[in-house]
Amino acid sequence: MQTRPLMSLRFSTAPTQNVGAGPHGTRITFPITGGSFDGERLRGTVLPGGDDWVIKRLDGVLELDLRVTLETDDGALIHMTFEGIRTTMRREVRTFVRCRVSRPRHRNTPS
Amino acid sequence: MDSRFLMTLQVAVVGAQKIGAVPHGTRVTAPIASGHFEGPRLRGKVLPGGGDWTLLRSDGVLELDLRITLETDDGALIHMASFGLRHGPPESMAALARGERVDPASYYFRTTTRFETAHAKYTFLNHLVGVSSGDRRAEGPIYTIDEIL
Repeated sequence: MQTRPLMSLRFSTAPTQNVGAGPHGTRITFPITGGSFDGERLRGTVLPGGDDWVIKRLDGVLELDLRVTLETDDGALIHMTFEGIRTTMRREVRTFVRCRVSRPRHRNTPS
Repeated sequence: MDSRFLMTLQVAVVGAQKIGAVPHGTRVTAPIASGHFEGPRLRGKVLPGGGDWTLLRSDGVLELDLRITLETDDGALIHMASFGLRHGPPESMAALARGERVDPASYYFRTTTRFETAHAKYTFLNHLVGVSSGDRRAEGPIYTIDEIL
């Protein structure tokens, strides 16, 4: 499989909402208040209002479930979701990203 | 099938993000800034930071996909997710789009709700499915949520 960089994405978050131990693990919600993204074909800011709904499983792995709205520097809004996992073994996060955009000149990313 | 009243919930929407026409319909994301809920077994406020991810399908039906965090008056946090549908006669839908008050009996607005919490007093919420009937107001919807027994 060959890949190429799409963008780097940075979020800022509000204080976490620690829902606590529930039926699926320990639930923590991170409200997203802003951020930025930058890549060869798109760049812009993250709108406030998204969230990352995180579950810490019994095996210690974090399951991530994120939804945000991106706004490109030329005004297109992009709905973005990803699910991913984060382990304590590696600091990296692996996610599966999907985007929905309304302007045809911004092609949807392959998922 | 029997049900009983669980609570009413009102959320306040700010600054809808109109993504526009996407592969599955027309997408609008509505960030939720606040709100409150009240019922015989729980009451409190809605924390800022949730949202309602809506998709208007080509058949005119609006799909609603809401996630919020509730905080009870005694400090428990509750994760709530709901999925629902809204549709109705064109005149009702047009009036809603103009921000007018419309009799909720004149259109269909129903969602299914699920909850998760860690707080011992509210674990009954982890074990039930709720169904809500919505009343869409310009400032944000009001849901009357029943527990399905």
